[in-house]
Amino acid sequence: MNPALVVILLVALLALATVAGLVGRSRAGRVKASGGSETVAVSELVPGESGGTAATLLQFSTEFCSTCGPTGVQLEKLATEFAGVRHVDVDITHRPDLARRFDILQSPTTLVLDGDGAIRARIGGSPRLADLRTRLAGLVAVGARTAGTAAPATTTAPTTREAS
Amino acid sequence: MTELAPSKKALVAQPGEKGIDPRGPRFGAGITAVLLLVVLAVGLLDGFDLPSGVGARILRPEFLILALVVVLFAWGAFAGIRRHPYGRFFAAAIRPRLTAPSHLESPKPPTFAQTIGFVITAVALVLQIVGVPGGLLFLAAVAFVAAFLNSVFDYCFGCQVYVLLVRSGLLRSGARVRA
Repeated sequence: MNPALVVILLVALLALATVAGLVGRSRAGRVKASGGSETVAVSELVPGESGGTAATLLQFSTEFCSTCGPTGVQLEKLATEFAGVRHVDVDITHRPDLARRFDILQSPTTLVLDGDGAIRARIGGSPRLADLRTRLAGLVAVGARTAGTAAPATTTAPTTREAS
Repeated sequence: MTELAPSKKALVAQPGEKGIDPRGPRFGAGITAVLLLVVLAVGLLDGFDLPSGVGARILRPEFLILALVVVLFAWGAFAGIRRHPYGRFFAAAIRPRLTAPSHLESPKPPTFAQTIGFVITAVALVLQIVGVPGGLLFLAAVAFVAAFLNSVFDYCFGCQVYVLLVRSGLLRSGARVRA
């Protein structure tokens, strides 16, 4: 093949890969609103766990995902900023049923549930924390209004995750 | 120490599992991407028409360089990312010159990515041996895009592809195999 054509093809491939990378980056972590018609009972999904009274950050992870760990730490921290918000991390490495049920195409995928367990938002990849914080503040405000009082702070999850 | 909720226990590093510097695999993927670009350049210069003899197809330079890439992928996939030559070189020569990483990561995701790379490039070699015109070049291009995204954009293959494999049922029986 003509060397000039080879150079053109390789530059085109490089450009294609760069565009794919930029598009992927611009999409990752966006907080996408959901209708709220589907509800999730956290205690049914993970025995021994429970959702928050105002909101739940339901994270789905796998063992082969490098961003799941750091995302878990961030979400755990974010949850402690609000009363009645909990972070629950579900390992779906051996649970294809859950991956299909929630239509999970990548890990981490995080579902934002309101106090009743209705899915309010969905985040693919490492979440954009500022947007997620705004969304949670809204849910916590609604939760406090419907409950008449502020949600008790005792339901917040522990802040530490094993770092060893 | 707080007792972890059951849902979180599964994701904590196993005893004896040491975290790795996340920049190490990206460094290695960069070298892989350059090697694959060389494969593509040499292969395209040779053209899509393949010689009729198997021996001649195997002795084409793009096949030989890609065979080296396959061996390196196999090393990472089967011996683990930390025993891979790039990983060792990174740890010995490059990491001491960098600041400390913000966090350490499990070696499982990059090891899984090496396995994907191994499968794609090994199939590319098979296509060349069988004599499929452009087969090696097409899969080398796929592997190049993957390595490029991994290196430059920190794209995580374990995050995306593993879930898809589990969902498709391909990994149902092998899902309990620990990397």
